[in-house]
Amino acid sequence: MEDLPKSLRDIISTFEVLGEEERREMLIAYSEAYSQFSPKEDERYVLTDVRKDEECTDTVGVYLLSDEEGKVYFRMHLGPHVQTLTKAMTSILCQGLNGSFPQQIIEMPSTFISKIVGGELFRIRSQTVYYVLGRMKNACKQLLNKNLAQNGH
Amino acid sequence: MKNYAHPEVLVETSWLAEHLNDPTIRIIESNEDPLLYDTGHIPNAVNIDWRADLNDPLIRDYISTEKFAKLCSQKGISPETTCIFYGDKSNWWACYSLWVFRLFGHSAVKILNGGRDKWIKEGRPITKEKVIFPETSYPVPTTRHDHEIRAFYDEVLQFCKEKRGPLIDVRSPGEYTGELIHMPEYPQEGALRGGHIPGAKSVPWKMAVKDDGTFKSAEELSKIYEEGCGVSDDKQTIVYCRIGERSSHTWFVLTYLLGHKNVKNYDGSWTEWGNKVGAPIER
Repeated sequence: MEDLPKSLRDIISTFEVLGEEERREMLIAYSEAYSQFSPKEDERYVLTDVRKDEECTDTVGVYLLSDEEGKVYFRMHLGPHVQTLTKAMTSILCQGLNGSFPQQIIEMPSTFISKIVGGELFRIRSQTVYYVLGRMKNACKQLLNKNLAQNGH
Repeated sequence: MKNYAHPEVLVETSWLAEHLNDPTIRIIESNEDPLLYDTGHIPNAVNIDWRADLNDPLIRDYISTEKFAKLCSQKGISPETTCIFYGDKSNWWACYSLWVFRLFGHSAVKILNGGRDKWIKEGRPITKEKVIFPETSYPVPTTRHDHEIRAFYDEVLQFCKEKRGPLIDVRSPGEYTGELIHMPEYPQEGALRGGHIPGAKSVPWKMAVKDDGTFKSAEELSKIYEEGCGVSDDKQTIVYCRIGERSSHTWFVLTYLLGHKNVKNYDGSWTEWGNKVGAPIER
């Protein structure tokens, strides 16, 4: 847990004490809040990665903002057929990872996801729950590679 | 002009909107997305999760007759209740749940034409309120009707060897040819070998529906399945897909909309056949 950003640790702590029914309700609440992390017209992104992968039922777009310190902020676009759990994970991860350094996100373990999703949903949707984190990590890798290339390394 | 053999098994969204409080029916949502019902559902609908509620967690089979009776009792369903199923994915899981209800002998079943998407697109009411209906005393079914509507591996093997009748593969063309060993978007739910059961004809489930998820006309369905595949009353037909959900949809079309009595769903489907040691495969 110490490897994770504090905002994400706080979210995990909240989920860990919930029963199955409350956990589902919390996931629904997060799924309904994902649109607050949608791309905004006036924002300029340092990286845009929009694609439809085999692992997901619809298109997922990852947009990265970066501040002067190099910390990143995610904006995500989800196609209309994306499943509820994917929407929930998008919202949770945007909230939990925004303001982190790309390298920190890349190096994060993914074992925390089962603590959020819970045993039952994790079992039946194992292919879905890691997808969004994978895309976010991949965007961070792309950004670091792009920065390295621009710096002439 | 050909009509559906059993038009009474389909209800339209407009009809359901006027019968939300009908005590003789129970509206049942069955989805692939396990959280979708909780985000909002048709008023008075109960949720039946195809996996958690209908499948045995340890054995690849359905729940016991005792558990089925308990499930129905808890959902306020009596043997006389007409169950109206609907769901996401053009009613794949709604048809699957309907088929499982038929396995347990519950025959008062219907499908909401167009499913969840059509209801929502038409701007009809959705609620998060979960109604708990008074428990019924659903009697434990004395038998399961597997032999009537469900095919097992050995039976399918003999069926294809002896070319007893139409064998219909309702998966996507890529899965049928073996180019894909899983359903698109579900790479972890595949099989070790790709291809199809020898002699199977490819008729993707989607051929049976229009763009809005409602079923095509009886005439169109007849052309696809009776003229195109040779489905008829004098021989058996077996349908299959990956785990039996998409083929439940086609089973519903053949059984209820075209009225064929001798149709079985092979729910072991490609996840059994494509992983089974020694099973013959055609590409």
